[in-house]
Amino acid sequence: MTVEIIQNLMETISCDFILADPKEPETLSCLLPILKRLHGKCMEVSLTGKANEILKTREMITDISKALPPDPEEAKLVLDQLQQDLDTFSHLMVEFCPGDIPHLGEMLNTLDTLIDRSEEKEFAIFHEIGLACKRYVEFMILKNIPATAPLEQGVLLLKSIMRHLKKGEIFGYEYSDVLDILNTGLEQEKTRENSTQKEDDPKIDSQKIPVIDAQKEPEKISDDDLEILIDFVSEAEENLYTIEVSLIDLEQDPSNKDIINDIFRPFHTIKGVSGFLSLKKINTLAHTTENLLDSARSGDLVIDDMATDAILEAVDMLKALLARVKLSTETRIKQPDEDINVSVLREKLQNIQMAMTRGDSHPLGEILVQKGAISREKLNQALEFQTENPEKKIGEILVEGKQTEPKQVASALMEQSMPKNPTASQIKVSTQKLDDLVDYAGELVIAQSMLRQKTSNDPSLSQNVSQLGQIVTHMQNIAMSMRMIPIKTTFTKMIRLVRDLSRKSGKTVALDMVGEETEIDRNVVDALYEPMVHMIRNSVDHGIEHPSHRLEQGKPSQGTIILRAYHKGGHIIIEIEDDGKGLDKDIILEKAKATDLITGNEQMTDAQIYDLILQPGFSTAKQITDVSGRGVGMDVVKDGIEKFRGQLNIKSSKGVGTKFTISLPLTLAIIDGMLVRVDQEKYIIPTMAIQKAFKPDQEDCFTVEGKNEMVRDRGNLIPVIRLSELYNTSRQNKSVWDSLVVVVESKNEKRALLIDELLGKDEYVIKSLGKNLEDLESLAGGAILADGQVGLILDIHGIFKLVSKR
Amino acid sequence: MAESMETMNQAVKVMAEREGKYLTFILAKEEYGISILKIREIIGMMPITSVPQTPEFVKGVINLRGKVIPVIDLRVKFKMAATAYSDRTCIIVVEIQGAAGHIHMGCVVDAVSEVLNIRSRDIEDTPNFGANLDASYILGMAKMEGDVKILLDINRVLNADEVSSLDQTANENYKNH
Repeated sequence: MTVEIIQNLMETISCDFILADPKEPETLSCLLPILKRLHGKCMEVSLTGKANEILKTREMITDISKALPPDPEEAKLVLDQLQQDLDTFSHLMVEFCPGDIPHLGEMLNTLDTLIDRSEEKEFAIFHEIGLACKRYVEFMILKNIPATAPLEQGVLLLKSIMRHLKKGEIFGYEYSDVLDILNTGLEQEKTRENSTQKEDDPKIDSQKIPVIDAQKEPEKISDDDLEILIDFVSEAEENLYTIEVSLIDLEQDPSNKDIINDIFRPFHTIKGVSGFLSLKKINTLAHTTENLLDSARSGDLVIDDMATDAILEAVDMLKALLARVKLSTETRIKQPDEDINVSVLREKLQNIQMAMTRGDSHPLGEILVQKGAISREKLNQALEFQTENPEKKIGEILVEGKQTEPKQVASALMEQSMPKNPTASQIKVSTQKLDDLVDYAGELVIAQSMLRQKTSNDPSLSQNVSQLGQIVTHMQNIAMSMRMIPIKTTFTKMIRLVRDLSRKSGKTVALDMVGEETEIDRNVVDALYEPMVHMIRNSVDHGIEHPSHRLEQGKPSQGTIILRAYHKGGHIIIEIEDDGKGLDKDIILEKAKATDLITGNEQMTDAQIYDLILQPGFSTAKQITDVSGRGVGMDVVKDGIEKFRGQLNIKSSKGVGTKFTISLPLTLAIIDGMLVRVDQEKYIIPTMAIQKAFKPDQEDCFTVEGKNEMVRDRGNLIPVIRLSELYNTSRQNKSVWDSLVVVVESKNEKRALLIDELLGKDEYVIKSLGKNLEDLESLAGGAILADGQVGLILDIHGIFKLVSKR
Repeated sequence: MAESMETMNQAVKVMAEREGKYLTFILAKEEYGISILKIREIIGMMPITSVPQTPEFVKGVINLRGKVIPVIDLRVKFKMAATAYSDRTCIIVVEIQGAAGHIHMGCVVDAVSEVLNIRSRDIEDTPNFGANLDASYILGMAKMEGDVKILLDINRVLNADEVSSLDQTANENYKNH
C-alpha cells in the first residue's frame, strides 16, 4: 500500500517539478508538502536513506525559494492587495447612489490606498489611471455629479491591467482614451465656468457627463433635485420676505448694522444655495446684491433711497426667477429664464456700490449732540482731540474732559448698540395641529373636572387632581395663546405696499402704525390681509390728493395713512385712516343712481351713503388706474370681513379724510354667547348681536295681514322671527306675549327672536359642524355645552337672510 | 372621456378591494356590511343635537370627544320605516373620503352583529333592481351561511356633496309647508 502511495507521490512530484519555474517560488513551494508526505511514507517503510534524500531535496527547495530575489513575492503581495483594493472600489462604485457624499469619500479612501500601493515603477500605468479616477471622484464630490460612467471605464481598464500584471505581461494597449474620458468632465466644467463668467448663459445642467447635448430638449429634473429645488424655493421666498421687511426698516435707519446684517444674511443664503443648485441667474444677482450690502455692512457706504430701490428691484427679480424655478419643480421640466435679464440690474447695483461713498451715520458724538448732552463745539473739540489720540474712544474723551456725565455716555452707548426688533426664534406649525391641541386641551379640562367630581371624597387624591387641574388650565391657556400673533406682520406688509403705491401714483404718503403689537388670532390675520390691501390702495389712489392739491388746501404735501390696532370689548379694531379728500357724498349718490343702486328718492343717512361704496360694481374713480378703480374691491372687502364675523364702518368728512374701521372678533375660536331654549332645542346667540331681551306686553304685539308679527319696543316696531317655525321644529303656536323676545341686530336691521328661556351667558369654543354641514347659512357652528351635548350657534345675519327668502 | 376612465378605474379597484373584513350590522331585519377599514369606532347611542335645514336622514350632530361630527340615520337614508332607538342601537363612526379630505361621520344602525371575513368568491355583483332602487352604493351581495349580506360602499352612501347640497332641498321643503 505504502509503496503505491510513494510511487504516486513520486509521479506527482516529477510532474510538478517539470512545471516548476524557479522564477515563481509558488510552483516550487507547492512541492514541499508533497515531499513532506513522501518523506513520512518513506520513514514508514523504513527507507531511511531515501527519506534523508527527500529531506535534503526539501531543504534545497526551501533554499531556492529563499534565494530567489524577494521582489517577485513582494510584488505579488502588492498585486494581491491592489486586486483587493480594486475589488473594494468596484463594489463601492456599484453601490453608489448619486449625492451620497460619505460613500464617495469611502471610494476616495480606497483609491488613495490603491494609488499609494501602486507607486512602484511596474505599476506606473495603474498609478496614473488611479490618479485620474481619484481626480474624477473629487470632481464628483465638489460638483455634485452623479455620472459614474467614466469611472466604470477607469475600473475596467484597471482590471485588465491587473490581469496583465498578474501574468507578468506588459500592458501595451492604448489607454489614453479612458484617461481622456476621465478628464473630460473636469475640462468641460472649466470651459463652462469660463463661458458663464463672460455672459449670462441659460441654465446649464452640469450633471450630464460625458456631455449629451443638454440644450436641445427641455431638461427633466430628477427626483433628488426636485426635492432640493422645492426646499430652496420655499426657503428663498421666506428669505426674500425677510429682506423686504428689513429693507423698509433700513430706510428709517440707514446706518443700522443689525438691519443690514438681517438683509445681508438671507441674500448670502440665497447666493450659496443657488450656486450649489447651479441656478446661475439667481446666484449672480444675489451675489451682486450681497456685495453691495457687504460694503454697507463694513461701513463703506450708506444705503440710501436709490440703493433701497435697487435692492427691492433685485428682490422682485429674484422673485420672478424663483417663480420660474417653482414652475420648473411643478412641471418637472426646466423652464427657460432667458427673458429675465439680470445683467442690467447687476450693473446698476455695481454702479451704486461704486458711486456711493460713506454718508452720514450716527456716531456716538452725534447721538450725544442730539440728546443735548453736549454742544456741537464741544464735540468738535473732542473729535479733534481724538484725531491726535486715536486710541481713545470719543466717550472716554468726553467724560475725562468733564464735558458730559458718564451716565449720558452710557445711555447714548445703549442707544447706539440697541438692537432693533429683537426677534424670538420661531418655528412653523400647521394650524391644524394647533387646532387639535386646543381641542384636546379643552377635552382634558372636561375629563379633569369629571375626575374631580369622582375623587372629591378622597382628600389626598383630590389634592393631586386639583394640581392636575392647574396644569391643564395652564396648558389650555398656552394652547389658546399659541393661536395669537401680533398684527405687526400684517402691518409691515403694508409698508412696502404704501411705498410702491405712492411712487407709482406720484404722491408722497407716509404710513404710521399704532398698536402693531396687538395680538390677534392667526386665522383673523389671514382674513385681514386682503381687505387691508384693498383699502390702502383705495386710500392712496382715491383718498390722498396730489401734493400740489394738498398744498393748495393748506395740508402738508405729504399724505398720511394711519394704521391703528387695538382691543375693544372682545374685538380687535383696525382703523385705516387717511388725511385725504374724504368721500364725496354727491358723487357717490350720482354714481349709485347711474348704476341703479338707488332710485334717488330715498332719504339716506351719511352712513348709508358711504355704505353704497361697499356695493358690488361700484367705483367712483374717474380713471381706471393700475392701482385700483375697477369697481371690484370694496364689496370684496366687505364680504371678506363679514365672513369672519367682522364689521366694516366708514367715517368720512369731505376735505379732511376717511376712516375705515374694521372690527373683528379677537379669536375665531371663541364666541361670547347667550344660551337660549326654544321648545326642546337649545341655541347659542352671539352676545355681540343681542340688543336686549324682554317680555313684551300684549298691547305691544301687532300683526300685519294676520300673520306677520311685530313687537313694539320703545316706539320701534320690530319684526318677530319664530325659530321653531323657521327651523320646523314644532308647530305649537305660543303667543308672542307668552314668550321672551331677544332683540338681535345685524347690519342695522333689527329682529325679535322668540324664545322660551334664557339659560345663561358663557364663552363657547366654536367647532365646525363637519365639512359637509358648515355651509348652513343660519348656523355659525357648534359648541360643546356644559352637559357634553352639542349646541348650535346661530348666525344672526344668516337667519335674517333665510327669513327674507321665505 | 377622462371621467369615464376614472370611473372604470374605480370600478376595477372596487372589484379588487371587495374582499376583506366587514363589520355587519342590522337594519330592519336586513344585514349590511361596511368594510372594516372605513370604520373608526362604534359608540352607543348618545344625545344627538338636531340641525335645522338638513335633509331628514341627517339626525344631527354629536360630540365625539370634543369633535363635532354629523350623524346620519341609515334607516331614514334607505327610506325604511323609522323605529324608536333601543339599547342595541349604535352609532358607527366611519371615515369617508370627501372633497376636502377625510370626514368622520356617524351612522345610526339598529344593532351591530359581527366582523366577517368575506372572500371574493362569496361576493356577487349587485343585481339590477331597476329604477326603484339606487344600487350605486352597493358594492355587492355576500352569500354567507345561507344569509345574504349587503355590502355598502359607505363613501357613496354618505356622499358629502349630497349632504351639503340638501340643505337647499330642506329650504324648499320649508317653503312647501
